[in-house]
Amino acid sequence: MLKTKHLTKKYGERFALVGLSLDIEPGEIFALLGQNGAGKSTTINCFLGFVKPTSGQVYVNGLSVVDHALETKKYLAYIPENVMLYSNLTGVENLEFFSALAGFNYTKKELGKMLFKVGLQISANDQWVSTYSKGMRQKVGIAIAIAKNAKALLLDEPTSGLDPKASNEFSNILNELAKNDTAILMATHDIFRAKEIAGRIGIMKEGSLVSEIKSSDITTNELEKVYLQTV
Amino acid sequence: MYKIISRKEYAMLIRDRRFHILATIVTILLIVSMWAGFSAYKIIRNETDFISKESRSHWIKQGSKNPHEAAHYGSFVFRPKSELSFLDFGVTSYIGNSIYLEGHNHNEPKFSQAQESSGLIRFGDFTVAFIFYTLLPLFIIFMCFNSFTIEKEEKTLKLMLSQGIGLDVIAWGKIEGFSKCLAWVFLPCLLISFGLVIIGTPGGVSFNTFMRLFLNTIVFGGYFFVFICLSVLVSIWSKSSRNALLILLGVWVMMCIIIPKLSANLGGFIFKAPKNFEFTESIRKEVLEGIDGHHSADVRLNKLKQTILAEYNVDSLSQLPINFDAIVMQEAEKHSSQVYKKYFDSLEKIYQKQNYISDIFSLIDPFITVRNFSMSLAGTDYKTALEFQRQAEQYRYNMVEKLQNHMRDYSKTGDWEIKVNENFFAKIPEFKFKKFSINDTITQNWLSIISLFVWIQLCIRFISNLKNFKMNDL
Repeated sequence: MLKTKHLTKKYGERFALVGLSLDIEPGEIFALLGQNGAGKSTTINCFLGFVKPTSGQVYVNGLSVVDHALETKKYLAYIPENVMLYSNLTGVENLEFFSALAGFNYTKKELGKMLFKVGLQISANDQWVSTYSKGMRQKVGIAIAIAKNAKALLLDEPTSGLDPKASNEFSNILNELAKNDTAILMATHDIFRAKEIAGRIGIMKEGSLVSEIKSSDITTNELEKVYLQTV
Repeated sequence: MYKIISRKEYAMLIRDRRFHILATIVTILLIVSMWAGFSAYKIIRNETDFISKESRSHWIKQGSKNPHEAAHYGSFVFRPKSELSFLDFGVTSYIGNSIYLEGHNHNEPKFSQAQESSGLIRFGDFTVAFIFYTLLPLFIIFMCFNSFTIEKEEKTLKLMLSQGIGLDVIAWGKIEGFSKCLAWVFLPCLLISFGLVIIGTPGGVSFNTFMRLFLNTIVFGGYFFVFICLSVLVSIWSKSSRNALLILLGVWVMMCIIIPKLSANLGGFIFKAPKNFEFTESIRKEVLEGIDGHHSADVRLNKLKQTILAEYNVDSLSQLPINFDAIVMQEAEKHSSQVYKKYFDSLEKIYQKQNYISDIFSLIDPFITVRNFSMSLAGTDYKTALEFQRQAEQYRYNMVEKLQNHMRDYSKTGDWEIKVNENFFAKIPEFKFKKFSINDTITQNWLSIISLFVWIQLCIRFISNLKNFKMNDL
């Protein structure tokens, strides 16, 4: 579902990605670990078509992102590290707006249900987003992604700023989505969270995937050790 | 799809305090200027009506007198205020409102508002049109400068684009949303001015006036559209909101202040118009070189005398069945009118050339386009003022000719006792200024129309091409 082949991105003389090859199947959760600047976000931006690869290919659902920039976005949902919304619209209005852009017209009731599902307190639904905390905005961002019914989900540090309970709820949502055959690519710093929900874990360094581990083959402590050795 | 964006932009802007404050300020300014313009219009219109009637009755009731004396007595004509003049004073404040029409002399329009009133008018005409073409662009800039930069800064643009939507669609949505917000300021003002036009036109609004108001709406609508597109485009191209605002304010200063001023000065510099004194002086000189009715020694006078005597087959002026003095005076009138017309036409040509310079600049500056077109539609432009002068001169000539011909036909040479009375004066029709038709106005402004059309087309092109625009710094 999400696939790259020898993906390379050069900014001037600096390599952000070097020959990266990934293949994430429907229903699979893949976690990308790595330090800041390792190329995790660049990878996600390549899938979104916001970064044009210097060489190599990016495919979403078998379509090349470079050639089908608008169409491939239909299969993707994206949650940034810091979900920013329109501050003088309410949570429901923001969700309504973004899902309408993706071509979905939900009723107020359905929108409310989605926000409830991601754990936003009901009283916040009709408040302006300017009154929201970072965690609350993040939840709306998750709802926006869910509302799109996408075949693939791209997450850039999605749980940063979420409290442990919300973070746990989020893991449950991801598992549920994966059960329904959504391919999930998650860039994260959180080794514990990665081990818990991802099926496969890739560790990136300076634009390359240096190791790829099945999470069932390793304990959290071992994963931490591998991570620290690699980076 | 752009409807979704448009709805969101509209909802957000309508809740924005910045919009509330700016819209309130602009609306107050519009209402004040409309009220001030309309009351001034009504006062001047009433005064002009009253004085026109008085002047007419003075003319009719001047008592029995010699026709030539009546020509010297003369009458006043007034440039009528057009029904839309309260929206745009144009150049009328600086041009005389009335002309004194008399025999022998070609008087200039006198008594402009700028001459008559205090310093306020020198401050510039604070009309609805002025607010529309100068302040509303500023209002648009303040509303739109960060339309894209803020979404880049807040990363919402990335989220929006990730939903699978083109940049051009987002831009169109924003443009429509902004336009709807602007309509809250623009449309009420338009409705009020339409109401005022109905109130201010006792005889009922003519089709001509209605069309002018309608065209005005389209022209200003197009102008606002251009400014909205420009602001949105600059916002897309700019790295930060601060940059976008600085660039747009620079554009505003260039378009609305520097280029209009520059083009006017340049026009006057390249094609110099004679000073008022030089103009009248050269006419006076050239008239003197021709026949002068009061100096019978002139050679050409003799020639005229021989022609007339031969025509009637008599030996002396006293044998003529008609009044030779009247013929001489009419000949002099004809001559001086020709001279005057020649100079007037050449002056008009100079102004036309000056305007060409301004027209050329209007191709790069929609402000000039809209300013000129608005004036023209309101009937307060220079062309209309010149047309008034021309018609008044024509009327003067006809009036004097009628008087002289009467004297020629009904008295003998040397007879200054002949008199005409009220009935005769009443037979000379009252002066009625024939305004330009809407077709004339459109023909006069073809370049403005094309220029505005080109600007709108360019904006549409640029926005639609955003489809292929690559956002690099998301």
